Amino acid sequence: MVLRDIWVGEAPIDPAALHAAFLAAHSHAGAVVSFTGAVRGHTRDGAIDHLWLDWYPGMTEASVAAIAQDGEDRFAPAGLMIHHRAGKIAAGEAIVFVAAASPHRRAAFEAADYVMDRLKSEAAFWKRETGDGFTRWVEPTAQDRDDLNRWSRG
Amino acid sequence: MIEILFFGKLADAMQARRLSYAGDAKTLYGLRDEVFAAAVAGGHLNSGDVRMSVNQAQVFDDRPLIAGDEVAFFPVFSGG
Repeated sequence: MVLRDIWVGEAPIDPAALHAAFLAAHSHAGAVVSFTGAVRGHTRDGAIDHLWLDWYPGMTEASVAAIAQDGEDRFAPAGLMIHHRAGKIAAGEAIVFVAAASPHRRAAFEAADYVMDRLKSEAAFWKRETGDGFTRWVEPTAQDRDDLNRWSRG
Repeated sequence: MIEILFFGKLADAMQARRLSYAGDAKTLYGLRDEVFAAAVAGGHLNSGDVRMSVNQAQVFDDRPLIAGDEVAFFPVFSGG
């Protein structure tokens, strides 16, 4: 039985508070790994002001839940938290927080890593970045696809 | 009546995020081709680049539509 906590929404997320809550919920797990993703301040086109993540309430959460399920099936964590922000997100603000708890560190690291790679390529979002004099829709990069493909090799 | 939602750059292209459809299209592909006819004819869009869902489940083939269905058209997911 995995303790799963998934949330997608447009309110700001507080990684420190989420981390504290996750640690408290899994104080006896043995290993806890967390990852926080924040909006980068720069891209190849220049300084970023904000991202806008379009999302489809209902289907987006289902896509995140499917990724969580695969991570749980693969790495059997004791707990998994995925909080993903949508809507307008300013540079520097947190966009995603993922945490995994497991009896041993390797599975916790790998569960969080796997979930993040899947989220970066397959979660049902449509991302637009806006900066100094530009705005453009973003699709998964070659790096994102390489990261994802790591899990299907060997 | 069929509810149509648009996401990502397709919402930009259609200048709409939602519309109610009461036309003659009876299938998903028929609806897609009708809705995006102008954009495809104008060279702004390839209909093969349009992803689709019916009632929040992504689908990859044609199927009949019935009144009350919620259809969404969107580009490839960007991921988070």
